[in-house]
Amino acid sequence: MHFDPVANMQLLVSGLAFGSIYALVALGFVLIYNAVGVVNFAQGEFVMFPSYIAVTFLLPAITVFGTVVHWQLPIVGVYLLVLVLMVGFGLLFNRIAYHPLRDRGWMPVVISTIGVSIFLRNAAQMIWGSQPIVMPSLFAVDTISVGPLHIRPQDLLIIGVTAVLIAFQFFLFERTTLGKQMRATAQDRATARLVGVRVGRIVAITFVYSALLGTISGLLVAPLFTVTKEMGALIALKAFAASIVGGFGSIPGAIVGGLAIGVIETFGGFYISSAYVDAIAFIILISVLLVRPQGLFGERVAEKA
Amino acid sequence: MTLRHAERKWAALAGLVFVLALLPAFVHSDYLLSLFDTAGIYAIVVMGLGILLGFAGQLSLAQAAFLGIGAYTSGWLTTHLGWSAWPSMGAAMALSAMVGLAVGYPCLRLSGHYLALATIGFGIITQLVLINWKSVTNGSDGMGNIPAPQIGSFVFDSYARYYYIVLVAVLACAYVAWRIKTTRVGRALEAIRENEIAARATGIDATRYKIIAFVLAGAYAGLAGSLLAHMTKFISPDSYSFDQSVVFLVMLIVGGSASISGAILGAVLLWFLPEVLRPLKTSYIMVYGAAVVAMIVFMPRGLVGLLETLRSRFVRRRPDAA
Amino acid sequence: MSSADDVAAAASGLLEVRGLVKRFGGVTAVNALNMTVRAGDVHALIGPNGSGKTTTLNVISALYRADGGSIRFDGGELAGLPAHAIARLGVARTFQNIRLFGDLSVVENVMIGRHVRTRVGFIGALLPGGATAREERETREKAHELLRFVGLEPVAGLPARSLPYGDQRRVEIARALASEPRLLLLDEPAAGMNPAETDTLVALLRSIRERGTTLLLIEHDMNLVMSVSDRITVLNFGQHIAEGPPAEIARNPDVITAYLGGTLDAA
Repeated sequence: MHFDPVANMQLLVSGLAFGSIYALVALGFVLIYNAVGVVNFAQGEFVMFPSYIAVTFLLPAITVFGTVVHWQLPIVGVYLLVLVLMVGFGLLFNRIAYHPLRDRGWMPVVISTIGVSIFLRNAAQMIWGSQPIVMPSLFAVDTISVGPLHIRPQDLLIIGVTAVLIAFQFFLFERTTLGKQMRATAQDRATARLVGVRVGRIVAITFVYSALLGTISGLLVAPLFTVTKEMGALIALKAFAASIVGGFGSIPGAIVGGLAIGVIETFGGFYISSAYVDAIAFIILISVLLVRPQGLFGERVAEKA
Repeated sequence: MTLRHAERKWAALAGLVFVLALLPAFVHSDYLLSLFDTAGIYAIVVMGLGILLGFAGQLSLAQAAFLGIGAYTSGWLTTHLGWSAWPSMGAAMALSAMVGLAVGYPCLRLSGHYLALATIGFGIITQLVLINWKSVTNGSDGMGNIPAPQIGSFVFDSYARYYYIVLVAVLACAYVAWRIKTTRVGRALEAIRENEIAARATGIDATRYKIIAFVLAGAYAGLAGSLLAHMTKFISPDSYSFDQSVVFLVMLIVGGSASISGAILGAVLLWFLPEVLRPLKTSYIMVYGAAVVAMIVFMPRGLVGLLETLRSRFVRRRPDAA
Repeated sequence: MSSADDVAAAASGLLEVRGLVKRFGGVTAVNALNMTVRAGDVHALIGPNGSGKTTTLNVISALYRADGGSIRFDGGELAGLPAHAIARLGVARTFQNIRLFGDLSVVENVMIGRHVRTRVGFIGALLPGGATAREERETREKAHELLRFVGLEPVAGLPARSLPYGDQRRVEIARALASEPRLLLLDEPAAGMNPAETDTLVALLRSIRERGTTLLLIEHDMNLVMSVSDRITVLNFGQHIAEGPPAEIARNPDVITAYLGGTLDAA
């Protein structure tokens, strides 16, 4: 295969776009993990469910519960509406799947988030049926030409929004009281509670924030594929892999891990094998775990005897 | 006193096996019998996971992949090499156990969420191989014409006949798990689950015992996969997904993870639950998901824990009555 | 301490630590430590918080890897061996922050302690009766015997985590004794105990010593240390500052000025 700089550039943009999605979802994992010490296996449904809600209000006609509805609201309004709904969703999720189990170790929470994931995927199928649904994009054209490059504007939007969100998150964590409380909760809940942080509320906010990250990822990625009940699952698994590659619990690790997996996967799928493209993330993951179990940015923590 | 208690337990078990052995005499529906056969096969997978997670405390989400390796080993040996079913079953079990060793060994340095994710990765890679390695697996089209086992001219080709193979396999697997749990190896595994550092300081070679648990979980799933292949006679990659591994995990947790009867009970009940919910049509898996959340919230120690709690209440009341 | 004493101690040392070094990042927790534990002694390792006592124990039992030096046990080198191999050689321990197998019963905890003294493996487990049944019965009997020895027979069937703190410490001791160790490492066995429990513990430590087990213990309770110890090693900032019998340590001006501030009159 000859070396084609234009093709490689296009692959890089597309890889960074996918990587941005993984990074956003990975951030959601890491924030929840840091706050409550468990992995949320329903994170993928934080991506899938809002995408369905969005298409419901966006499309000129869509079948919901077997009835055809014609809302077709303006796209920005729909985005805002979905974000507001997902705030409630995050609160409810915390209340049902995490809060009752918070003192019982990580395994029961993992099981309950798996239960919620099964519930939501099949609820989606019941409500919207099993046909893939196309989500309209903000853009009228699929690709634009930048010099010799043909680039999807959606890719650029994804990269741009992710960059803004990451900047926002650094601002939130470094400059605001809320962010500092979130960090304190993540580092040491007992101490955070002692210094007056209302840990329960911070945990709820963390779930909401994580749900919103998932929502934004869903709204960004859905126009590139279709909306299906399975759309979130693989993204979430790869994002989880990305967060471990980066160093679990590390925010820069989640971002770098996500981008790295997106780019390597895109190039690997093009140059090596498109059939095994979904294996690439996990091969990277397993290799990293074997060579450097703490991940790229993680610190090896010696267990105290 | 304790002896009489043990005797009563054995009598109850013998009675249960007797009733189970008679089941095909009363259940004539092929459909129902196929459900029972599959329930038994799943009970074997879940028992294997019980050894790994319930005894040794190592979470694996690749049980369906091992099931697939067992099924495809049996399928390939019988259809490509013309082996008969029985040796294929042994080979399926052995290969899955060996893959368990190969996966378990590097994964031993990982624990908790990391181990869970590494096994998820292994499961997804395995399924992709089953889909794409067409010369061996026939890809998404699946593999058919897998022969039923036979003894002499007696072919286990009906669900009622196959039921007995499954029953014997379930009992054998339960026996092995029970013997392990109640002797030195099982105590070593439970020690690792409870506190690995203390276990090491007590002289337990944690690495070795975790590998034993991985190998056993692989062997159980491999046997189950082979049993499934020779029963359905047709296998395809979509049955060996990550979601299926999750279902096995949920079966174990709902049943009661450190208990053998819990593993069996969880597998059987959750396998039949969708059947009970079938009148709900398409929404039944949704209710299933909600049921899982409800069970984990309200039954912390699984069904077996719930039954024990109920029994201890009942037993405590009895001396007053007597 | 006279050099003749040193030679005599070294000659009969069951455990000989020479030049032991352990670092965590830039911090040297144990720095060129020398220590000799004589067979049959109760040997105490004392020093202020953060002086490296627990780290020393953790390195001896291979929960941490040493960065230098040697640990000889009965003539053989321990450094570099994995934790389970060290247990197998006859070094058992308890933990400062109790590490029991909490969901398992008290007697099962002690039975697990028999691991290195029993043999039944996977194949043996599948063959009931015969050697397997005999070993299983012996393991259980031995565990009950040890529970009687530490005074916990009545609670043998309870989950270990349901016991009060002091009892949990005694379960740990019984579990460690179950491996029939020649050297028992105890990390603050009296921590969190009330005076009555401490008295029981002192009696227990004495009877363990009478069984011929050598004890190396870390303890903050100076009354206890002075009353049970044959020899004491004092650590400060990871370094050995004195070693000798209690009376000598109590008079050692280095120890008094550098660390104890003259509070060693309890003996």
